[in-house]
Amino acid sequence: MNSLKVGIIVFLGTNCEQDTRRACEFFGWDAEYIRQDDKIEKKYDLIFIPGGFSYGDHISSGRIAKLSPAVKSLPVGKTMIVGICNGFQILCEAKLLSGALLDNQNIKFISKVADLDFCNEQISLPIAHHQGNYTDDNIDKNQILMTYQNNENGSDMSIAGIYDRKNKIIGMMPHPERAIWDELGLTDGRKVFEFVKNQI
Amino acid sequence: MKKFSAKVVVKMKPNIKDVKGLTLKRAVESFIPIENLSCNVGGYYFFKFSANNEIEALKTVEKIAREILSNEVIETYEIRTLEEIYE
Repeated sequence: MNSLKVGIIVFLGTNCEQDTRRACEFFGWDAEYIRQDDKIEKKYDLIFIPGGFSYGDHISSGRIAKLSPAVKSLPVGKTMIVGICNGFQILCEAKLLSGALLDNQNIKFISKVADLDFCNEQISLPIAHHQGNYTDDNIDKNQILMTYQNNENGSDMSIAGIYDRKNKIIGMMPHPERAIWDELGLTDGRKVFEFVKNQI
Repeated sequence: MKKFSAKVVVKMKPNIKDVKGLTLKRAVESFIPIENLSCNVGGYYFFKFSANNEIEALKTVEKIAREILSNEVIETYEIRTLEEIYE
């Protein structure tokens, strides 16, 4: 399976859809946008919920986006779904992933390159969020996909990303789509995209 | 149909780290001498709507509070008032 059919959901306030699409194009995947108001009826191999500030983060990050027709019609368990940053927040708010994301422990927007442990490897990816402090009283340790080495935001168990293998849903706060191109100086995002592809 | 107004308070569950509450606590403690201070930060929501009766209105408010205003994993909600209004 070389070329994947990828859908990228775009909400009012999403701002990482172009980076995500270009990252898909880097791998030769065929990506298209899905509008927030559209039901997902087409067959995709992979659906991204990209980062940004859906609906201005009003009430709480992802709280309004979870009500959109696109999220309500996600083909859970049938198609690989990956939420990045705001996408992770939306998946948690929609109860498609366990836990929730609170304000960062220092109550500041954190924008930096974070060192992470991912699949027995150390990688570096950009993070940029205000509510990335993951909490879950009943976390299944088998779901932990990546962790911060320096727990930048105060997450339980330094969790940066989780993976519900049963329903094929990944959520992560770091931005792998911003670490694809040599020109940007970081390319570890490729490892995450390759991992995602291997899970399909 | 009747018109109702509702006020809902949403706040963090006691076992959840309320980082805004902790920051407020530190700020207040540095501002004035005070003992045994605890602070919680949450949201206060007001809305008006129409419903056939009070039971239906309560169900509506609960649905809004539970599914939109709060996330049961980290927050609790409290319907402070629900009353019929005449305007």
